[in-house]
Amino acid sequence: MLVWFLPLFLLFLMVGLPVFFGLLAAPGIMLWLNGQEKDITLLYRNVYNGMDSFPLMAIPFFMLAGEMMNRGGITMRLVEFSQACVGHFKGGLAQVNILSSMLFAGLSGSAVADTSALGSMLIPAMEKEGYKRKFAAAVTAASSVIGPIIPPSGIMIIYAYVMGESVAALFLAGIVPGVLVGVGLMAVTRYLAKNGEYPPSRPRASWGEKGQASLKAFFPLLTPVIILGGILGGVMTPTEASAAAVAYAMIVSMFILRSMTLKDLPDVLLKAALTASVVLLLVGAAMAFKTVVSLSHAPEALAEFILTLSNNPLVLLLLINLLLFIVGMFLDAGPAIIILGPILAPIFISLGVHPVHFAVVMSVNLTVGLATPPMGLVLFVASSVSGEKVETIARAILPFLAVEIAVIFLITYLPQISMTVPWLTGHIACTEGATYMQCISPEPIPR
Amino acid sequence: MPVILLAARALAAFNAPVLAVGRGIAIVLMALMVLVILAQIFFRFVIGDALNWTEEAARFMMLWVAGVAAPTAYRRGGFVAIDMVVLMMPRIIGSLLTLFLLFLALIVLVVGVQIGWGEVTGFGGRFATAALKYPTDLGFETWVKVPRSWMMASLLVGVTSMAIVNVELILRAIATMAGREADLPVIPESASVGAE
Repeated sequence: MLVWFLPLFLLFLMVGLPVFFGLLAAPGIMLWLNGQEKDITLLYRNVYNGMDSFPLMAIPFFMLAGEMMNRGGITMRLVEFSQACVGHFKGGLAQVNILSSMLFAGLSGSAVADTSALGSMLIPAMEKEGYKRKFAAAVTAASSVIGPIIPPSGIMIIYAYVMGESVAALFLAGIVPGVLVGVGLMAVTRYLAKNGEYPPSRPRASWGEKGQASLKAFFPLLTPVIILGGILGGVMTPTEASAAAVAYAMIVSMFILRSMTLKDLPDVLLKAALTASVVLLLVGAAMAFKTVVSLSHAPEALAEFILTLSNNPLVLLLLINLLLFIVGMFLDAGPAIIILGPILAPIFISLGVHPVHFAVVMSVNLTVGLATPPMGLVLFVASSVSGEKVETIARAILPFLAVEIAVIFLITYLPQISMTVPWLTGHIACTEGATYMQCISPEPIPR
Repeated sequence: MPVILLAARALAAFNAPVLAVGRGIAIVLMALMVLVILAQIFFRFVIGDALNWTEEAARFMMLWVAGVAAPTAYRRGGFVAIDMVVLMMPRIIGSLLTLFLLFLALIVLVVGVQIGWGEVTGFGGRFATAALKYPTDLGFETWVKVPRSWMMASLLVGVTSMAIVNVELILRAIATMAGREADLPVIPESASVGAE
């Protein structure tokens, strides 16, 4: 009977109960009906224990660092740098928008922050230069999903914590897919610019201009180096690296660029605190939910059902990608990972998909969902920043979504794309004597 | 309806300043969390003497950040939900559904308060934290370990404040159903927040 908590949870979710309450109400009601009242106390304890986590602290810290960088005018410098690098390409400002998102991704890890920071600056600029507003908003929304793919990434920290994976391995596995999405979007922009009526490109920046823009962007661009260098060098844990990123962002914004004052600090800290509180409660509730998932044997039942559809992991991966894509249309990436990770990951790991590979496929797929209608979070942010209707942006974003879907399939069926960097840096645990392929794509676990 | 409006205004008058204090505490704790972790890095790599209390202190503060900031996020509509069905329904049915969901959330929170109180005052709360200590005299000569219940109280405070906010939201939903939304005090900002 306990297994009925899953449909009940889905029902609560569909009718609009906040995810936090749904994660607790559905298992709580079923435990109560099952006469297991004492286990409801266990739910509460697991919420608390789930929140009491040092690795999770990295989420508010990375958000804080990104917010400080943004307040400190660092976004502007990234845009100027991108302008000097790719402003002369076909579809100039659109290319600048995409490259800026890739660079911003290395600082913040949040698609929403990316859309609001870059959108408020670049959408009016693109419109002024002759781009249609809906196109400018669509490019901003589509490229912002790179934020949580290229490290640091809030949703990857959540995945790593909920599923007990290495944050460093997930961060590393996200680099190539993130760059791939960026390059793909740039290629589509180039194609659209060639065949559309976009304004002429700007003249190529001189070496002097490039040098000046690089100098101005030097300190902000050092942030991902500090974060990843600290983690990969074994010098710092991801949480420590995130705190170091906050300190660095503060020093750059307040003392080097002098573009943020002490007065701005409380607001920046409050934003991070509010985000932290919601994410922590959500993760805590997810850990409680996960306990009931295990108690109910729901994953086993679901696995049996999924395996009746096909035994071929490739077919199942296709089906799961479709499922994740549909889920991503309605639910934000964080809660979706929290809910589906503990249910789906064990099934695919037993089929021979590496845990880190599955984590990346799931994270990228659900992140792309942030830009898909009807409930894509960044579509709404892009709409509020640009003043364009959500449905208009949703239509304009379709060519970019096609590229992102193609990347999802590439990383699904070619684990080498995401797994090589963590393998090269020794962040994938391999059995002794295992070859590269055996390491990144292990044998299925006999059932 | 006047009674509902009066109660909604009274709860708003209570919640607004209380949650503002919570936000102030959250701001200070966030700053302290960063400082404590930076101290951890500094002592380990520069001084060569790792501090044993920093990680626990930062977790202590993070739990309290969640406890005092979450009610504000909840009051401002910052909890992630799929509100598509509610928006698609006829106004009156949508409002009734919203009310039902708020009551369901209230049940979760009240059960949370009950269990939370039992946890904080019960067996688990009697243990001490591993490394956190506080002085018992002004001369800082005697130090005692911080009870775990101080840490556990963060979630209790959070769910209690959210339950009070929830009651305010229920009253607001009833007033809105009766077409008296304009007579309610305005709640600033309304955006969901998350790790995306």
